[in-house]
Amino acid sequence: MAVAAGEAGEQVTLERPRQTHRLKRLDRSVYLNLVAVPVLLLISFFWAYPFLWTISTAFKTQLGAFTAGASLVPHPLELGNFARAWVTAGFSNYTANSFIYAVSSTLVELIKSALCGYVLARYRFPGRDLLYKIIVLTLFVPIVSIVIPQFVLIEHLGLLNSRLGVILAQSGGAGALYVLLFTGFFENLPQELFDAARVDGAGFLQTFWLMLPLARPIIAVVVIFQFVYSWNDFTIPLIFTLGQPNLQNLAVGMLYFQGTHTFDWTGFAAGILMSFTPVLLVFLAFQGYFVRGLAGAVKG
Amino acid sequence: MPGASGSRFWIFVFLFPFLVLYGGFTVWPLLATAYYSLFNWDGIQPLTDFVGLGNYQKIWADPIFWLALKNTLVFAVAETAIKLPLTLVVAVLLTRRWLLFKSFFRTVFFLPVILPVALAGLVFTYLLNPSNGALNAFLVDHNLVHTPIDLLGHGNTALIAIILVATWQIFGQYMVYWMAALQNVPEELYEAADLDGAGELQKLWHITLPLIRPVAIIITLLAIVNALHVFGVVVTLTSGGPGQASYTVSYFIYNEAFSEAPFRYGYGSAAALLFAVLAFVFVSGQAVLARGALRRRQEYGV
Repeated sequence: MAVAAGEAGEQVTLERPRQTHRLKRLDRSVYLNLVAVPVLLLISFFWAYPFLWTISTAFKTQLGAFTAGASLVPHPLELGNFARAWVTAGFSNYTANSFIYAVSSTLVELIKSALCGYVLARYRFPGRDLLYKIIVLTLFVPIVSIVIPQFVLIEHLGLLNSRLGVILAQSGGAGALYVLLFTGFFENLPQELFDAARVDGAGFLQTFWLMLPLARPIIAVVVIFQFVYSWNDFTIPLIFTLGQPNLQNLAVGMLYFQGTHTFDWTGFAAGILMSFTPVLLVFLAFQGYFVRGLAGAVKG
Repeated sequence: MPGASGSRFWIFVFLFPFLVLYGGFTVWPLLATAYYSLFNWDGIQPLTDFVGLGNYQKIWADPIFWLALKNTLVFAVAETAIKLPLTLVVAVLLTRRWLLFKSFFRTVFFLPVILPVALAGLVFTYLLNPSNGALNAFLVDHNLVHTPIDLLGHGNTALIAIILVATWQIFGQYMVYWMAALQNVPEELYEAADLDGAGELQKLWHITLPLIRPVAIIITLLAIVNALHVFGVVVTLTSGGPGQASYTVSYFIYNEAFSEAPFRYGYGSAAALLFAVLAFVFVSGQAVLARGALRRRQEYGV
């Protein structure tokens, strides 16, 4: 498995002329690796053990899983877990919901926070300072402290037990940080850029379209933050889809699944494996952007 | 900054989506939580049974709320105290130029972040169960213990298990935060320190930490706030149990308001508002520290 570049602290350095120095350095790095790599490998094994257990259990029989103890070898081998998890246990449905919620709420967050952050950063209008202060004040409001009225609101809108209700709740409460990130970024863009755009006759919308691509690091951060948040979210899907398995995401669906059947651990493991793999690939591809985007965001 | 004259229409259009969602799902709910907390309300009947501060009096005398609050604070402080230093050390180690297999190790530490925390909780209920879970099978087979330990079955150890599982799950996220912060530390400083014969610990203490301190404070704030929200792992790992020993505030509010009829929206709202105020005080204490650090940063011109 290769992780995309994002190698912190690996900028090009000056060529060092003194040969002895270079040798000493090489010796030292061999020695350091001899200590660090075995230790890290050992930690990695224990760290990844729950995943290795999941992978091996996905290929075990029910009885085999029950008697395996700490062993990771599936014996005898069983391949029927995957079909059972995907169809009977509804993993296909839960995975689809997880994706729908994550993608939609990420889009909503991105659009609303980029637009608002841009205007807050570059324009003066009545109430601007007050709005900015309120956003900062609500930055750290715990979600459980506002979830009861959110529930009442969604109920009044007739959106309880609907996908739209979950998406609205997920993307309504979390935006303060993202707006501040965009505001910070657009505030720090040089005024000459905007002057040049005006000289060229760009209007409000055109100027925004010119500036938006510059905010790529912030966009990357918002996309990854919100996607991970929504993908892992348990609170909102649990409360807003009570007793509606066809609307639940992975996390909530599995809890109900556990409650209603004698728990099918091998099917569960197979289901995790299938829903986990595509997300893993996406994240491996974007991990480099993540680190660089964050580095850009905290610098600004 | 240009005036609003020609752009008033577009300013309004740009603000509109945020204002609607933010107003509806953050600002109004905060005010409504305060309002509901003054009523005895099940969410179904009309909102008429005004009880004033009665709900707050009940909370004052409710030992389960205080237990939940204590557990939440213990969780937040312990989880933060464990994960922040460890993730920093791992991030520093995994960004050293000399280290081999960096990508592999980074991926391993990052893996649990994309496993929804509730699923992580379920996997661990199996791994930690006393009858045939991997942990006890390993300990018994190697004669490390004679009788299996039931980590999730006892009040104190259940909270410890929750802290450890949550730390394992979130570890990679904070590792990546630190790696991002470390990108802004110029490599030449380390080169110079190498020439002076500085050890790895000295470099960490005298170069890395002072340079990333402003970012470190933001990361600490995020860590504490996120830890205060702990919910999913409690539900799946212990359901607040045994008994109510591992209740957290989120779980307490969820239980009062949504778990089973009759729903207690008013009482839940009082707990929710109290929690929001306590969290705000807790976090703004940290923010004062942050401002001090940022000022120092400007004074020294770092």
